[in-house]
Amino acid sequence: MHRQFTILLLLATVVVSLSFIKQKPKPRKPGTPVSFVVPKGWPAIKYNLDSNGLTKEGIALGRRLFYEGRLSKDGQFPCASCHQPFAAMANFDHNLSHGFNNQFTSRNAPSLANLAWQTAFHWDGGINHLDVQPLAPITAPNEMAEDISTVLDKLKKDSVYPKMFKAAFGSETINTQRMTRALSQFLLTMVSANSKYDKAMRGEDSFNLPQKLGYTIFKAKCASCHPEPFFTDFQYHNNGLSMDPVLKDVGRMQITGDAKDSLKFKTPSLRNVFVTGPYMHDGRVFSLFDVLDHYHKKMVVGPTTDTLLKNKIPLSNFEKGQLVAFLVALTDTAFNKDKRFSEPPNAPPLNFSSPGHHLN
Amino acid sequence: MCGMKKKLFVVIPVLVVFLCAFAQKKTYKRYYSYNIRLSFTNLVGSEPLQIDSVYQNPFGEPFTVSQLKYYISNVSFSNSDGKEVKVPNTYFLVNEQDSASKNFMVNSLLGTITAVNFYLGVDSLKNVSGVQTNALDPLNGMFWTWSTGYIMAKMEAVSPLSKAPQQRVTYHIGGFKGENNVVKKISLPLSAALKLKPGDTATININADINKWFAGANDIKIADINFCMNPGPLANKIAANYAAMFSVTSSFSQ
Repeated sequence: MHRQFTILLLLATVVVSLSFIKQKPKPRKPGTPVSFVVPKGWPAIKYNLDSNGLTKEGIALGRRLFYEGRLSKDGQFPCASCHQPFAAMANFDHNLSHGFNNQFTSRNAPSLANLAWQTAFHWDGGINHLDVQPLAPITAPNEMAEDISTVLDKLKKDSVYPKMFKAAFGSETINTQRMTRALSQFLLTMVSANSKYDKAMRGEDSFNLPQKLGYTIFKAKCASCHPEPFFTDFQYHNNGLSMDPVLKDVGRMQITGDAKDSLKFKTPSLRNVFVTGPYMHDGRVFSLFDVLDHYHKKMVVGPTTDTLLKNKIPLSNFEKGQLVAFLVALTDTAFNKDKRFSEPPNAPPLNFSSPGHHLN
Repeated sequence: MCGMKKKLFVVIPVLVVFLCAFAQKKTYKRYYSYNIRLSFTNLVGSEPLQIDSVYQNPFGEPFTVSQLKYYISNVSFSNSDGKEVKVPNTYFLVNEQDSASKNFMVNSLLGTITAVNFYLGVDSLKNVSGVQTNALDPLNGMFWTWSTGYIMAKMEAVSPLSKAPQQRVTYHIGGFKGENNVVKKISLPLSAALKLKPGDTATININADINKWFAGANDIKIADINFCMNPGPLANKIAANYAAMFSVTSSFSQ
């Protein structure tokens, strides 16, 4: 009897004590978690997933938004109008892209591969967070030309989006933060690490002779600004392009206000470079051979030109050929054909009027 | 011996329960929280600002304000011991054209306060952490999309002395990095210590004289300067001026 009483008392004690333990309700993130896989040998990503963990639903929403014409003023300019999957998410064969009301964009649309490792966006690095990035093209009068509240209103009135926001974020609330986080989730999945170069590095494939020779030349003459594995140092350089008299683009100086940054632009990654032409910040160079000619001969050396380029880059025609062979080996065909990045099958119909805007 | 054991069986659990309760109390020490309403009134000199009325700045230049917005963030209260207690997560956008935005409630943990403090602007952390919500939502038109960062304070006006198209005056003041950081900490002492009562709401009335934008540390004449839309030396000058625009006119507890 006493024993039973004691056991009961102990049990009661345990129950009462447990009730004092701080019960912090763990906020359950809605959606099906998707883990981010860092390719073997690559550094940790820079994007903070703690505040925006990937989910199947978030990525699906981001993908739909990426192909959503209504993010633009007249419905014709979704993100995907300038960032096409088959061009490694750059704009195929466009030096400058097309924006609202027959306007040109002011810079060449970059590839969107491996954004998880980037901390600054745009050719001038003016944007400091991936989530903030889409607000620039959406609001730029010569790009998507829309204002953010109108975009959100259009999404709120749609029959599908409120449900997709609920699936991704737990409620039907549609706001700027959720929209841009969903876009980031989709963009973060765009990892390109399966080119012939990657396979050769992993021992799954091997370079042919020109590629092998090109790789050696590349390491000697290009890799200081285009280091592996991203083939960019994420820094800003003046690589000897004269200022375009119409665009008058001073590059990094526009952000820092520092004359030392005049005509400096962020080093682009060379991954998929074969399919992301035309090249340079304003797309003025149309082929890889012309790019190499630029560094070999055509550069304009000015006061802010990178010290490594003061004497241009000595290159023989033979070396140029080998280099191009190597650069082609940076093409990640699996990435460029990845169905996960293509227009979602249930996407709203797009209303493209000019042949320049085919998506597939 | 047996009785001793029994007693222990009773005493130890009771002790454990009390200890737990004590630990609980320590983690959740109850504070009284006092409600304070901060109420902002925008003035030009000593006259209340009316959108679309003509005023003169300290240089006698006529101007008509069409838009005035500024961020008030990181509110804190001080007492006479020099103790300063921050009110967590306080970000407000004061918009002249939205009267509701000029009054907002905050909680003080101090029972007696002698000063109210806040940032005029948005701290750098919120400038580098992606897209925020509510007052900090980029759709409020106080966010630069091409060069990430908040516009901390914005005045748009028209003046016959402006040499800009449509005689516009556009002062968008921002910058959160290094020497171009325009975020100002404002500390406003109250004329007398304000004793707060739990459950009541105290009010602190704050005036903002926008004529301070033009003069003070630096002369900003509309005839010379009609446009500022970048972080940098000019924004720093205007911010150095407007940091002096606030004053507490009255504070009372009901």
